[in-house]
Amino acid sequence: MAVATPEDLAALMTRVAAGERAALRHLYEATSSKLFGVCLRILSDREESEDVLQEVYVTIWRRADRFDASRASVMTWVSTIARNRAIDRLRARGPLAYADQIEDLQIPDSALGAEALLAAAGEEGRLRNCLSELDDRTEKVIRTAFFEGVTYEALARRMDTPLGTVKSWVRRGLARLKGCLER
Amino acid sequence: MSEAPDLSETEALAAEHALGVLTAGERRLAEARMASDPGFADLVEAWRARLTPLLDAAPSIAAPEGLWARIERMLSANDNAVAQRALRFWRGATAGASLLAAASIATAVFLASQPPVVVQPPAPGQLLNASLVSPSGTTPVPLFVAAYDPVRKALIVTSLVQPGTDPVHVHELWVIPADGKPRPLGFIEPGKTKAMPMPANLLPSLAAGSQIAVSVEPPGGSPKVDTPSGPIAAVGKLAQI
Repeated sequence: MAVATPEDLAALMTRVAAGERAALRHLYEATSSKLFGVCLRILSDREESEDVLQEVYVTIWRRADRFDASRASVMTWVSTIARNRAIDRLRARGPLAYADQIEDLQIPDSALGAEALLAAAGEEGRLRNCLSELDDRTEKVIRTAFFEGVTYEALARRMDTPLGTVKSWVRRGLARLKGCLER
Repeated sequence: MSEAPDLSETEALAAEHALGVLTAGERRLAEARMASDPGFADLVEAWRARLTPLLDAAPSIAAPEGLWARIERMLSANDNAVAQRALRFWRGATAGASLLAAASIATAVFLASQPPVVVQPPAPGQLLNASLVSPSGTTPVPLFVAAYDPVRKALIVTSLVQPGTDPVHVHELWVIPADGKPRPLGFIEPGKTKAMPMPANLLPSLAAGSQIAVSVEPPGGSPKVDTPSGPIAAVGKLAQI
C-alpha cells in the first residue's frame, strides 16, 4: 500500500465524487487497513467488521459529493463514517449489548501496537494526554461513549446515576478537553 | 486541571453529536441542523476532528482478500452514486404534488455505468448540441442529450432514462429561446433515441444559446397552453461543439 498524503486523498475524493470507480479503489487501498482496524476496535468481531467495512465504502461512494475539503480531512471524514457504521451495528445488537456495568469496561491501552505508539507522538498523543488530565470517571465515560456510541440514557442506566449528572460530567469533560487541546 | 469555560449550548450539542451520546431522534435532528446551519456543521466537524485521533490507537489491520470484489459488486448492484445523486436533484427540482411524479421517474434513471449514446448525424460543424442535466444539481449528470441538425431541420434526442418503469408519465421536450417562452417540441420515451423534424415556425428558436428542457407530464403532455405543468427534470443549452 502506497502512503497517501492528505492532498492525495483529497484529490481522490474529488474523482470518487465524479463517479470514478478506479478512484474509489485507490482510496480503498490507501485507507481500508485503517478503517478495518477501526471497525474491529469497535465491534471485536471479524465477520461483522467485514460487513461494516463493505458498507462503509459503499457509503463513501454514495456520499462522496458531500465531502467538503474545507471542513474536514479525508481521513477524519472516512473514519467518522466507519465509526458511525460500526456503532450502528453495535446498537443493532440490542439492549443486551449494553448490559455491562461501566466498571467492567476494558480500555485496552495496553494492547497498543507499534503503529499506535508512533501515532501517540502526534495528535492522538495530545488527545490521550488531555483525556488523562480528566478525572478517571469522566475519561472512562467519554471513551465509552466514543467507542460504543452509548447514549446518555444508557450511560445513566449503566452507572445507576441520574441522567442530568452524567450529562454534566460529559459536558464539563468536553469543555476541559477542548481547553487542554487548545493550550 | 484548571477550570475551562463551559461550552455554549450550541457547541455542547455539536460535541455531543460528534461523541455519540445523543438518542436516535436527537441524532436525526442534529443531522438535519447540520444540513441547514453551516455554523453548526462546522462545530460538529471541529469536534469530530478533535475526537477522531482516538481512533488512531486502533491498529491498522489488512482487510481480507476479496472484500474489494464484494464492494464492487454492491456498487454495480445498486448503480448507486450517480443515480442517487440524480434522484436527489430531481427531488430538489420539484415541489408539492409534483414530487411523487418526479421521484417515480427518477427511480428509473439509469446512469452511473451508462455512457451517453453518441448521436452522429451529418452536417458536422453546424450541429448544435445540448446536454440536459437536472436544474438543481451541482454535479452535471446528463439525463438527455439533444442535437439540432440545421441541414435536415431535425432535433435528435436521446433519453438516458431507463425504459419501461414509469408508464404513468411522459417526458415532454421544450425549447426556450431568448424570449424565455417555452415552445413544446414533442415527447421522448425513456431509453429511446429519435429524430424529430422541426416545423418552420420553430426554426428561429433553435439557435445557439436556446435552452432545451424536459418536463414530467401526464399522458398527452402538459394540459397548460404552451408551458410545462410538471417539474422540469432536465435542462441544457444548445451550443456548437
